[in-house]
Amino acid sequence: MDSPIEPAEVTAYPHGWHELDDDPRWYERAVFYELVPRSFYDANGDGIGDIRGIVEKLDYLAWLGVDCLWLLPFYPSPMRDGGYDVADYWSVAPDCGTVDDVRLLVAEAHRRGIRIIADLVINHTSDQHPWFLESRSSRDNPKADWYVWGDDDQRWSDIRVIFCDAEPSNWTFDPVRQQYYWHRFFHHQPDLNYENPDVRAAILAVVRFWLDLGIDGFRLDAAAYLYQRDGSSGENLPETHAFLQQMRKEIDRDYPNRMLLAEVNQWPADVVDYFGDGDECHMCFHFPLMPRMFMAVRREQRFPITEILAQTPPIPDGCQWGIFLRNHDELTLEMVTDEERDYMYAEYARDPRMRRNLGIRRRLAPLVDNDRGVSELLHALLLSLPGSPVLYYGDELQMGDNIYLGDRDGVRTPMQWTPDRNGGFSRADFAQLVLPPLMDPVYGYQAVNVEAGTRDRSSFLHWLQRTLAVRRQHPIFATGGIEVLPADNPSVLAYVRTGSDEEGERAVLCVSNLSRFAQAAELSLGRWEGARPVELVGRAQFPVIGPDAYVVTLGPHGFYWLDLEGRG
Amino acid sequence: MTLAPDYEELARLAFAYLERQVWFQSAIDASSRAQLELVTSRTLRSSLPGLARLVIGRGEQRFQVLVGWREPAELAEVLHGRESALLGPVFDGGEPVLAYDAIADDELLLELLVHVTGGREHASRVRRVSSLVSHASLVYDERLFMKCYRVLERAARPEVEVLLRLDKVGFNALLAPVANWREDGLDLALVREFLPSALEGRLLALTSLRDLLAHASSGEDGRAHEPGADHGSPPPGTDPDAECAAAGGDLASEMRRLGATTASLHLALATAFGDRPAGVSTFAGAQSAVAAAGAPGAAQLSAQLAAVDPASAGRTIRLHGDYHLRRVMRSEVGWLVAGFSDDPLYAASDGSSPGRRGSAVEDLADMCFSIHRVAQEALVQRPDAEAAVATVLARAWARRNQAAFLEGYVTTDGVRRLLPRDPSVTELLLAAFEVARELRYEATSADA
Repeated sequence: MDSPIEPAEVTAYPHGWHELDDDPRWYERAVFYELVPRSFYDANGDGIGDIRGIVEKLDYLAWLGVDCLWLLPFYPSPMRDGGYDVADYWSVAPDCGTVDDVRLLVAEAHRRGIRIIADLVINHTSDQHPWFLESRSSRDNPKADWYVWGDDDQRWSDIRVIFCDAEPSNWTFDPVRQQYYWHRFFHHQPDLNYENPDVRAAILAVVRFWLDLGIDGFRLDAAAYLYQRDGSSGENLPETHAFLQQMRKEIDRDYPNRMLLAEVNQWPADVVDYFGDGDECHMCFHFPLMPRMFMAVRREQRFPITEILAQTPPIPDGCQWGIFLRNHDELTLEMVTDEERDYMYAEYARDPRMRRNLGIRRRLAPLVDNDRGVSELLHALLLSLPGSPVLYYGDELQMGDNIYLGDRDGVRTPMQWTPDRNGGFSRADFAQLVLPPLMDPVYGYQAVNVEAGTRDRSSFLHWLQRTLAVRRQHPIFATGGIEVLPADNPSVLAYVRTGSDEEGERAVLCVSNLSRFAQAAELSLGRWEGARPVELVGRAQFPVIGPDAYVVTLGPHGFYWLDLEGRG
Repeated sequence: MTLAPDYEELARLAFAYLERQVWFQSAIDASSRAQLELVTSRTLRSSLPGLARLVIGRGEQRFQVLVGWREPAELAEVLHGRESALLGPVFDGGEPVLAYDAIADDELLLELLVHVTGGREHASRVRRVSSLVSHASLVYDERLFMKCYRVLERAARPEVEVLLRLDKVGFNALLAPVANWREDGLDLALVREFLPSALEGRLLALTSLRDLLAHASSGEDGRAHEPGADHGSPPPGTDPDAECAAAGGDLASEMRRLGATTASLHLALATAFGDRPAGVSTFAGAQSAVAAAGAPGAAQLSAQLAAVDPASAGRTIRLHGDYHLRRVMRSEVGWLVAGFSDDPLYAASDGSSPGRRGSAVEDLADMCFSIHRVAQEALVQRPDAEAAVATVLARAWARRNQAAFLEGYVTTDGVRRLLPRDPSVTELLLAAFEVARELRYEATSADA
């Protein structure tokens, strides 16, 4: 029986809420905010962040200007992989709260115009999940075929091992059943057998359960690996697409305005298949773009970015990329060449502790040496390139990381709310905390926290809040096309976002200096000859575009967003 | 309204027009100019505005003039700012129309593109870019580039020939040819792809050097570098090679890719034009250049060259022949090779001879020299206080990127067959050709 919903205690923030719009394509314009529930805010004082804690911080998130929260897994779990080892799909881990808490969160978020999507781990479960416990118990139990079993570990030997630092093989021997089971990730995360219709039905039932509760969609974890086939890479198989399309069909039929966001760490040409013909996933992450933004800044030239944009195919109407700078995982370097990976390690992860699998486990601010100019530039790119931006909790404060914590915990430390005890994250004893908050002099909570950031109007937090507001005023950033402009200076990246709105044709020129030195560039803007560009943040007018090349000068890591229709 | 042009009258106007062009005066001597005649003519568009192509010449020399004509009332606007393009009035029985150099007329240039490409390409915008005198350079819709030749060649133009044949053998690291306008045995215009976002390799190199030199001289890595007392020596504790490798703007990976692209180019040239065994003449020029250099080590290098068995010196191929960082472009699809030009100005500028045959090592030496030169260029305007450190770093940068370029080249499948069997001979030739290139540079002071 559900417990009654109690009103949440909230803190007042200066900006108001906005209505939840009835728009089935809301995700195209949304700014997402990814948070780790256990590390965000501890409402009940047990040292572990919880769903009620998120409710208490909704006003802050509304003030910041985010449109949708992406919650990392909050399901019961042995927590051997940050909750991505689910032991029960139908409830909430006791330390995170209850199903009613989720219901409350959805209601309170919706009141503030914020949507909620949840991580859904569909490829595998924990080895502690009752399904697996039953499956491994014998070879003829009712769930014997709910997982992928084999008599040896030789089949599909060409399929790559993703967690290559930790797992020697995709097979692990189970001493109970005396067979090997298949797992694309950790050995304690056996893959579900999607050949079995009962498995497919069970996962669809899970989807319906949470959608019935009001969740606005799912981030589908590891969506590319659902099926295996001899002679294949075990990724992106047609059967996988067929299942995702079946899921989409049911959602469209019964749950309007919901969405699916696929985690598919592949090249854009392969990822677009997950959009189907607009009948599969609404959104997919654009993984290869992310490391290339960092690479471009370090190299001080635009080609890492423009190359991957050139390789990104068009996507169906009603679909959108999800783009990000950092997230809860390592800065993944799977979608780069070996040479580029060596470069990224050399530039961003000289300490081997910073590396994990094929990636770099660091937060944004330490990655860029806490250089605010670079952080602003990277966010300017994030907010102006095609796609819906996904922010990672704490990056709005320029929070740091702790590379001495295991696995990816170093980038999942408690959110820093105040300079008080435990950074305002929890009232529990320090020893009880889910992870130790940062306390170093540069990134520690005494210096870096929401309270300080909101008080200081020149803080990065305020800068980001203002910049998000500007982006919201110009939907062309979300839905417009992109045209990369030639510039005679390799350190300058210029592109025009184009489209139309109720007032007619729109064009916004985004020009960025990827160098730490001042730069100038000549841009060919002949199509807009006669227009007077207006800078979108300060509304300053720039010189009229003439018949000759338009000269733009930029300070170190500077950027402009210029309305070329002169309407700023 | 249509006009059946009196070509003789148009030609007379064209002669007078050409006489006023400085480039024309240098392209043909005065006595020949007086004897020009209309060789061929063709109406490309008879309705107003009209367009015709004239080929005029004398002896073996040929010049192309594209002539347009319009009613006087509308011409002023068309030629605004380009009034010198006016040729003069022609009559069509009734009202006179004015003839002019059609390169000045956007509408006719759009029409010309359709004609040159046989109707395959249409554009809505055209712009003229500053060009060499031997041709007009036109950019259509920022995606197509037309070279409309003014000075015509009786023989096949190397630029056109190389582009078309490389394209035919599948070499795609170039701005692909779209159409070649050829009539009466003459190449009149070439249309190829235009990639406006592609940048000269030199600009990338300077960006990389800027990062390195600033990084080092400002002590951004936490080590303040004091110039060494010994001019040209690295400061204590500094490893210039390591600093180059650690710099964010390190270009070595790009140079490796450029090396691989160069190898593909040479293999494609060998396929398209054939390859032959090297002979004494393959490096005779370099040998004499080394002998003339008089630099330290030149005598030894010359002696080593004299001992090389030509039969072991690899193959000769059609060379790019003018290969340096201004001739390669970085684009979103990788490196592109450009500058297969037969423009006489190129040859005049540095003594290089595009289109000739020789050892592939010559192109490699040219690029290595270019890498060295751009490193020198980056040192210009550095403060004196930084000169010692910057010089050491720039040299290390050049070494690193030359090595990366060559590594990318030699590790490309199949390319070793073009090189001497003995790598030490390749190194020897490389050194000799670099000396020869440097002497050419010093003789002409051209940019690298």
